Amino acid sequence: MQIVKSVITAAGRDQRALPLQRLIDRDGVEKSVLRILVEEVLSAGIEEVAIVVAPGDEGAYAEAIGHYARQAQFILQEEPRGYGHAIYCAREFVGDASFLHLVGDHLYVSRVPGTCAQQLVAVARSMACPVSAVQATRENLLPYYGTLGGRRVPGRRDLYVVETVIEKPTPTEAELRLMAPGLRPGHYLCFFGMHVFTPSVMQILGQRLADAGAGEQVDLSGALAELARREKYLALEEQALRYDVGVKYGLLTAQLALALSGNDRELVLTRLLELLAQREMGATGDADV
Amino acid sequence: MRMSDGQNGYEMPLHPLVQIILSTDPGIRNRSLDAFCAAASLDALLMACEVLETFRRQRDNLYERVRALFFLYAIYRFHLPGKPGLRQRSLISYEGYSHLLQRRFEEAIDLFLDAQRREGPSLGLSSALAAAYHRLGFQTLADQVRHSVRSVRGNQWMFRAGHPMDHPLRVRPELLQPASGGLFPILGEATPVRMDLSHSGWSDIFFLGMDFPEGARVLNVSIDLAIHGRDADPRPPVEAYFRVIDEPVLRLASVDLRARADVTSLAGVFDFARDYLGLLKAALIAAGIVPSGMEGSGERLEDLLATLVGPGRGIEIVSRVNGIPKGSRLAVSTSLLACLIAVCMRATGQTQSLVGPLQEYERRLVASRAILGEWLGGSGGGWQDSGGVWPGVKLITGELAKSGDPEHGISRGRLLPGHHIMGFDEVSAETRQRLQDSLILVHGGLAQDVGPILEMVTEKYLLRSEAEWIGRQQAMGILDEVAALLRKGDVRGIGDATTRNFFGPISTIIPWATNLYTETLVDRVRAEFGDDFWGFWMLGGMSGGGMGFIFDPRCREAAQTWLLETMRGTKWELETAMPFAMEPVVYDFAINNVGTVASLWEGDDALMPPGYYTLVAPALLRRTYQTLTPQRRLELEHFGAACRSRSEFAGVPQVLFDNLLPRWRSEEGSAKPLAELLVELGFDRVQHEQIRTDLREGRIGLAQNRLPASTDIRDAEVSDVVAAYTCQNEAWEEAGMAALRSGSVAVVTLAAGVGSRWTHGAGVVKALHPFCRLGGQHRSFIEVHLAKSRRSGRLAGCPVPHVITTSYLTHEPIRDFLRRQQNYGYPGALYLSPGRAVGLRMIPMTRDLRFAWEEMPQQLLDEQAQKVIESLHAALIGWAEQMGEGSDYTDNLPQQCLHPVGHWFEIPNLLRNGVLARLLEAHPQLTTLMMHNIDTTGADLNPALLGCHLLSGKTMTSEVIHRCVEDRGGGLARVNGTLRLIEGLALPREEDEFKLSYYNSNTMWVDIDRLLQVFGLERDDLRNERRVAEAVRAMAARMPTYITLKDVKKRWGHGQEDIFPVAQFEKLWGDMTALPQLACQYVVVSQMRGQQLKEQAQLDGWLRDGSAAYVDSLCDWA
Repeated sequence: MQIVKSVITAAGRDQRALPLQRLIDRDGVEKSVLRILVEEVLSAGIEEVAIVVAPGDEGAYAEAIGHYARQAQFILQEEPRGYGHAIYCAREFVGDASFLHLVGDHLYVSRVPGTCAQQLVAVARSMACPVSAVQATRENLLPYYGTLGGRRVPGRRDLYVVETVIEKPTPTEAELRLMAPGLRPGHYLCFFGMHVFTPSVMQILGQRLADAGAGEQVDLSGALAELARREKYLALEEQALRYDVGVKYGLLTAQLALALSGNDRELVLTRLLELLAQREMGATGDADV
Repeated sequence: MRMSDGQNGYEMPLHPLVQIILSTDPGIRNRSLDAFCAAASLDALLMACEVLETFRRQRDNLYERVRALFFLYAIYRFHLPGKPGLRQRSLISYEGYSHLLQRRFEEAIDLFLDAQRREGPSLGLSSALAAAYHRLGFQTLADQVRHSVRSVRGNQWMFRAGHPMDHPLRVRPELLQPASGGLFPILGEATPVRMDLSHSGWSDIFFLGMDFPEGARVLNVSIDLAIHGRDADPRPPVEAYFRVIDEPVLRLASVDLRARADVTSLAGVFDFARDYLGLLKAALIAAGIVPSGMEGSGERLEDLLATLVGPGRGIEIVSRVNGIPKGSRLAVSTSLLACLIAVCMRATGQTQSLVGPLQEYERRLVASRAILGEWLGGSGGGWQDSGGVWPGVKLITGELAKSGDPEHGISRGRLLPGHHIMGFDEVSAETRQRLQDSLILVHGGLAQDVGPILEMVTEKYLLRSEAEWIGRQQAMGILDEVAALLRKGDVRGIGDATTRNFFGPISTIIPWATNLYTETLVDRVRAEFGDDFWGFWMLGGMSGGGMGFIFDPRCREAAQTWLLETMRGTKWELETAMPFAMEPVVYDFAINNVGTVASLWEGDDALMPPGYYTLVAPALLRRTYQTLTPQRRLELEHFGAACRSRSEFAGVPQVLFDNLLPRWRSEEGSAKPLAELLVELGFDRVQHEQIRTDLREGRIGLAQNRLPASTDIRDAEVSDVVAAYTCQNEAWEEAGMAALRSGSVAVVTLAAGVGSRWTHGAGVVKALHPFCRLGGQHRSFIEVHLAKSRRSGRLAGCPVPHVITTSYLTHEPIRDFLRRQQNYGYPGALYLSPGRAVGLRMIPMTRDLRFAWEEMPQQLLDEQAQKVIESLHAALIGWAEQMGEGSDYTDNLPQQCLHPVGHWFEIPNLLRNGVLARLLEAHPQLTTLMMHNIDTTGADLNPALLGCHLLSGKTMTSEVIHRCVEDRGGGLARVNGTLRLIEGLALPREEDEFKLSYYNSNTMWVDIDRLLQVFGLERDDLRNERRVAEAVRAMAARMPTYITLKDVKKRWGHGQEDIFPVAQFEKLWGDMTALPQLACQYVVVSQMRGQQLKEQAQLDGWLRDGSAAYVDSLCDWA
């Protein structure tokens, strides 16, 4: 399966500034969130990138990714009709090809050599089917993620056959319908914000948009549940961590995660320790000791 | 069948009882234990116990362990005591008893078995082992239900969420936004209740369903209700409301119980018994709004609410049952719990849809959460009780546990049953209508405690006692029959089948399911309506509360009116004898074909039901307007507008006005005021004030009842007693018969007490309670005692004078009852001896409450039930402080505020009220009285015992029995070297009682003249009132006064009951034996003769161990 295209969605109306936030990447260079993402997809052999944006954002976003703008095209989501709709906006860009998809408000830190996108694309190529990256997530975070239930692919500890998908399930639903073997109690497979899709996802999204009323929102999870019913669809538990930069202190956490896994790890650790020590000593009046 | 011995590898034949447990062949598996035991010797039974004990310890399987435990219980309780050769006298170790109280059943069993090995088997040890096995059996079952409830998928996460930040639920956005400038939306759930159309033979008890899923089947119908003559049309009786509020609290309100509270801490949510809102709290927890894992976390409720609904906001939950009385046997409380859980689950996105009906898997989840909620609240019903969540008519059946179920490999069946909804193709609309047109649902008004019944059913099922097992098969057959008749549309046939079910299998499995009230009603209906009465049908655990009568539809309307009148009349006749909680009512009902449904009210419609405002508005109106939150102000404005414009709010201002203004006392009831009653009954105010002062100053009290710690308490020696239960003594027999023939003996039945434990303080007359069917009819205690005297009189050829002592509470009812029954045709002279002393109950001292609950050994309950009771105790201590310790208890019906002052007074009363004088005048040959408690049913004028007394020449002969584990309350002892009876509450230490082999049965043979001498009187003095009064007063002063705590029920609302502990004082007759001038001998009699029936839960064992048959054999029925 050839995967040379990628779609990044960054059209959230209330989070338009997020992709523009600047961080120091693992290589010690200051970059925007969006640029880090573009580099992530390019690392996986992607040749063409589409970024779905709200009208008016394309200029600022192009600037944010610098010279990569030459490899990227911006697709406008004219009206906010949900996450599923944002992806669907890239249908012409995608055409008949499979594609890598990332959300614009997450950052990824791999714990093994190679980027997260590389791991995912490699699996999708070898299994020749759609694959979503997932992460075992504690149930208290269920209100934030699409979650799936499934069974293990024989012989693989990191790969699951997806049976059902529910967007932001309650723990009650999760226990009843989203159990996956091998996880600790109270943990579920939640989306990582990174997927490889076949064109059939676009067909399903198209159908769901047609079925929905005017202006009604369409999410991705419903379409993926449908996808799981229709064809082989896998989930890869990545050796990596994802950071949602859109939540409280999300950007700070993501920055720390990048720094602690990058070239400046020692420096950042030292700064953190200094910070803590000064604070504690300041509190006991021993700052000058 | 053979099994390996586990050590040497060779196979050995299985013991027949183990075979029964292990066999998969129903022919063997369903064999009864009784059949084996009847033929077995004492040694064979002991061997069986040893095998079963080893077996149950080795097995992992729940069913096998539990059945072995119940076999062991039954052998020790019913079979060993009857075998010749069992030692009668023994001691039960206090350590073992403490283990029992602390629920350390395994340790208790080890200890008692050790004692049995050392000392040999005995009556006392048998009773202790039986109690331990019985409780361990039920504990094992309860543990499994709890485990299953917690492991049901969809429930597990609630036990893991331990911090507000971990809370994975959020309230749905539709409920978070107030309409522009308006009120928060309100989500309301309306749920029907369920009726059990066949009476399932209690097959919906969890354990039955889990062990015998094939037999666990129920025909369950969801119905709407209305009180006939009060409400317009039937509607779903149970409602719950949910809304977001602009204060960070959990606001709870029960419209029917008139209770509301703002819960501000997590600990407050888990405090179930603090107020009447325990059910709402249990629902909040079971629905996951406050997950179980948060209990004891020390976190702030405010933070939890912030996660759920946002900072500064809270949640309000309101419940309403539309005035449907408690005890309807329609599972109203479980339905309400399910309704509350459903609305909370919807609001937090745990169901697909916010409004409308639920999906099947959601209904199952609500049902499993309701089971969890009941466990949390320390209560428990059957698995069909949430049936109202489902629509229409359904067949609910037990299901075999499959791989993946938490029950798989542990029990045969699953915790949750399967629901088959019978569609209109199966039960036609016409049949449903016909059922509605024929069936009259009623609440007979009787108060009920079905807990013991459910235990009995489980026990009998496990033992497969022959009659009951056949009954169960028959009940299953009748269920099939009813289902078939329903499909056929034959309502008359259904009436016939349910009647057969009630009088056949149901009454066989549990004889206590029926009672005099119910049977009288059925007889009267049958007499009035003849062929137009198609059948009787019992709802739930016991009859007398919720019941159904099926009529020809043509008579239904007339029958409704007639039935209400007849129930009222019958209740009036029996209300002093049986515990009624309320006036009978007739319901209108309609089958609900939708199940539980939710609706959303928004904008101007977002108001709670009218009853809510009559509850909360007075408090709001008393506050300054500016101190109310913006939403409250807005709500009051909307409420005001609704009162002016909306029809359902039409009468609300008037009710509100009434609630705002104080009520004049005379408006409240027609009962005679307490003050008047006290004057009439000769209440001694001076003595009362003295007792109050002593109580408040700590001179008397529970701790002060006890003798000094230095008192030497020793057991009586064998030589101290006469073993009357073993020897046949011709000389005694002869002397006794001669005395009976000469008419020199009379019986005194002590019936002044109200029997607080019998009905948990319901205030009915125990003596008149038709407690058991003997000789083919329900018989009251008094009738039993008169029947024994009748027989003695017949055998002696001389009628026996019989005296019944009474008190202010029991005199009139007993007099009127005897009059109506024409003294049950008693041929001899019958006297009533009215009481001359009355006390006024007092609010207990918190010191005494704490002493009773914290310092005296208490039965520890199951984990969750214990939490509930501890919370209740804290609430009652608060109540005593608030009401004023030691002040008069007057907040109840006048009769419930008074108390009899102990049975010591009942004999002196005979002297003071002239009854003894009249008795002796009419029967000058009288020399001896046999006095006994009302509940000592086996006490009769046994000639040998009488002769034994007469030949002893003593003033009094006191009957004692060998102590069993349940015999608590003192006994025969050497106190500082003197042999005497001592009350349990006077013993210096709790453990002292366990040194005593003999228990006081309180049956005494008294020589009249010698007793008078003890009082310093002679027969001729009895006409001298002053002299008698002085003698009695002088004697009373020598008798110790005990302070006791008794339960008293306060009834209110629609069948609601609260139980309060109140303080009262008593003097007890046994203390007379401490007087040196009263010569007393002690005879040991058999258990059957000497045992007392203190609680209704004892009745089943009493019937099954042959005691009832023994009593029957002593009676001549009129």
